[in-house]
Amino acid sequence: MLIAEGALLAWNAWHYDWLRGYDAFANEQYADVVSREYRLPSVGESGVWHTPPLWFALAGTLGRLTTVLGLGHAQRPGQLLAAAAGLVTCILVFLLARVLFPERRVLHLVSLVLVAASPALVRASAMYHPETLAVALATGGVLVAARALRTRWTLGSAVAAGALLGLACLTRAWAVPVLVAVLVVAGLNAWDTRRWAPFAACGAVSLALLAPWLVNQELAHGSALAFNRPPPSGSMLDRRPASFYLGPRSLRALEHPVTPLFRNELVPHLYADWWGDWALTWDSPPPPAPAALLPAGIVSERARQAFIGVLPSLLALAGLIALGLLSGARRSASLALLPLSAVGVVTAYVVFAVRYPSTDGDTIKATYLLMALPAAALGAAFVIDALRPRGRVWATAGVVALGALVAVQLPFLIL
Amino acid sequence: MTERRAARIGVVCALVVILAQLIVASAWSLGHDDPTELALTRQCLEREKGLAVETTNDPIAASASGGALATVVEGNAVTIGVARSEAEVERLRSAYSASGDPGTRLDLHGRYVALWHRDPSPTQRQVTYDCAY
Repeated sequence: MLIAEGALLAWNAWHYDWLRGYDAFANEQYADVVSREYRLPSVGESGVWHTPPLWFALAGTLGRLTTVLGLGHAQRPGQLLAAAAGLVTCILVFLLARVLFPERRVLHLVSLVLVAASPALVRASAMYHPETLAVALATGGVLVAARALRTRWTLGSAVAAGALLGLACLTRAWAVPVLVAVLVVAGLNAWDTRRWAPFAACGAVSLALLAPWLVNQELAHGSALAFNRPPPSGSMLDRRPASFYLGPRSLRALEHPVTPLFRNELVPHLYADWWGDWALTWDSPPPPAPAALLPAGIVSERARQAFIGVLPSLLALAGLIALGLLSGARRSASLALLPLSAVGVVTAYVVFAVRYPSTDGDTIKATYLLMALPAAALGAAFVIDALRPRGRVWATAGVVALGALVAVQLPFLIL
Repeated sequence: MTERRAARIGVVCALVVILAQLIVASAWSLGHDDPTELALTRQCLEREKGLAVETTNDPIAASASGGALATVVEGNAVTIGVARSEAEVERLRSAYSASGDPGTRLDLHGRYVALWHRDPSPTQRQVTYDCAY
C-alpha cells in the first residue's frame, strides 16, 4: 500500500503544474532568495515572507542543483519533496497507530488508508508548497512523544521530539499548536512523575530552533506571528458575518462544491475543499470567467468526492471526541496528544480565518488544516475498530468498504 | 470507560454537531433563495448600467432554462437567454439559425445567448458581458 501511495504522490508531483499550487510564484521567489542570497526575503520580494524558511531553503537548494545538472525545471524537486513528505506522513501515522494501539491491526490498516486516501493530503503533496513537510515533521514529533509517554521519557526522546516539532514550526506556523499540545501533555506528565528534565529539554530544544525566527519577525515586522497583510481594525467579532459561522449553504456542498458557491462560509467551504477542490486548482481548468461554462464532469466529480466524505468526516469527529473522553477517563497522556493537538490546530485555524477575512476566501483552505489529519484519521480508525462487529464476514465487508473508498476516489486523486 | 462506550458517545456527539449544522442550513434555505444568474444580470443592467429591462416575447430566448430578458443598449435592442449547459447553448444557437444565419447579431458568451436587433458595437457587447455572471 505504501508503495502504491508513493507512486501516486510521485506521479502527481511530476504531472502537476507547479504554478497552480497555492502561492506558487511567491514560494518560488522566497526559495530563490533564501537559496541564492542566504537571507530572508523582504515584504516586496515575496508575498509569503511571513512563512518560516525551512522548506524554502531545501526546495531552493534542490532546485538550483537541478538547474545546474539540467534535470528539469527548478520547482520539481520542491514538488517531489512535498510528495516524499506526504508519504512519510502516511508511514508516521501508521507507526503512531501501532504505538498508541498495539496489536490492533485493523485500526492500523484503517488509519493508514484514511490518511493515504485523504484528498487534501494528496493535493498538497503535488504542490510546490511547504505544508506536507511541516505535517510530516510534526507527526514525527508527536510519534516520538507518544512513544516516550507510553514507555519512559528519556532526555534523548525529549530532544528528538523537541527537534522535530521545532523544525515543523520552522516550516509552517500551523505546527505551533501541535508543539503547544505536546508541551502541555509533557508538562502534565512531568507533574505526575516529578521528572521535569525531559519536559524542559523538549521545550528548550524546540524553542532554540523556533526563537530566532520569531524574534526576527517581531523585530522586522512588528509581530512574531506577522501575516502578509495587517488585520482590519475593530473587534474580532465584527470581522466575519454570521454566515461565516453558520454556513447557511452547507447543503449545497454535496451538490455544487466549487467556487464561488458558499465562499467564506467556513464549514461548507472547508468541507468542499478538503474532500474535493473548491478553488479549482486540481485537474481542472482555472475557475471560469463570468458567464463561462465549467467543463462537464468537473462539478459532478467534486460532488461525488463531497458525498464520499460524509461518513469519514463523521467518524473523524466522533473519533476525536471519543479519544478525548478516553484519555481523560484513563488519564492517558499519550492518547490525549491526538485530540489536544487537533483542537489546538482547529482553534488556531478559526482564529486566523476570523482575524484575516478576505473577500475571495483565500484564508480558508483545507490544506491549512492538514496538521490535524493524523489525529482525525486515527480517531476515525479508532471508532471503526471499537464499534465494528467481530467475525470473518464483517472483516471482509470492512476490507471491501475500505477498498471501495479508495477505488471510488482514484479518478480524482490520480492526475 | 470502555473503548466501545467512548466511541458510541463520540458518534452521538458528532451526529448532534452535524445535525445542528444541517438544521441551520435547512432553515436558511427554506427562508432564502440564492439569486439566479438572470436575477443578477437584471439587477446589474438596471442598477449599474441604468437600463430598462423587460421580459421577452422571443419564444427561443424564453425557452432557455435559466430564463430570458430583453433590453436596449445604446439604441440597439437585445434579447438574452441564459442556458444551463453547453448542449442548451447549442440548442438555442441552432434555433436562432434555423430561419437564416443571424451572423454577428447572435452573440454566444458562455451560458449567455444574446440576439441583437442590429450588429452590436464592441461597447454594446461589453455592457452585456459586464453583467454576465
